[in-house]
Amino acid sequence: MLEIVRTSPTEVMLKGRMDATQSASAFEQFDKLEGSCTVHFDHLEYISSAGLSVLLHTQQRLSDSGGEIKLRGLNPHVRMVFDIAGFDSIFDIA
Amino acid sequence: MERHFSRSMDELPVIFEYLEEAIATMSLNAGAGFALNMVVEELYTNMVKYNGNGADDILIGVDRTGDRLEIQLTDFDSEPFDPEQHPDVDTSAGLHERTPGGLGIHIVTRMMDEVSYEYKNRKTSIRLIKNLAPDA
Repeated sequence: MLEIVRTSPTEVMLKGRMDATQSASAFEQFDKLEGSCTVHFDHLEYISSAGLSVLLHTQQRLSDSGGEIKLRGLNPHVRMVFDIAGFDSIFDIA
Repeated sequence: MERHFSRSMDELPVIFEYLEEAIATMSLNAGAGFALNMVVEELYTNMVKYNGNGADDILIGVDRTGDRLEIQLTDFDSEPFDPEQHPDVDTSAGLHERTPGGLGIHIVTRMMDEVSYEYKNRKTSIRLIKNLAPDA
């Protein structure tokens, strides 16, 4: 299960798992983001390539209009996946 | 422990439940459990996506012997697919040069310590080993 909560116009909180069963609804939610946003991963337990694909697509779309998503609070396992994928060079991660 | 799963993306929640059971039974820590979920999700979805018309179920096996975690996926009616021969992903490409294709297999092969592949009489077997940390 994945919860995506807009805590403010520029802040998003993720909770649960961002896997292939959740990617369609995640795409729908992330497509609503505009400009620059911070995505809080503190409560995200797991991400697979299906979740990475949603984030990559969003970053590419927002970048076209000068925006971006910044990723915060990744647990060490999720962070390792971003590092292996080389996403640390295309996302602001802290 | 091993179990057969039908060839459909709708089967994923059932597979995730099975993995939770395996993690508890084998007392795997969070890191090893994460890797197990990742490997099975990526390889299983690949088998469903690229061999959706296969006639048989897919067998998933998980076993722990001491500090060695073994994961095996078997597709009994498939075309050849060797994850080790998969074209590598350019992880240094710029944002707009990136595509999601191949990312899952790239992550799986780097998370695991050994990956072996066998294809015979339309049967694909992928066996992966992860050496667990002492606290796993």
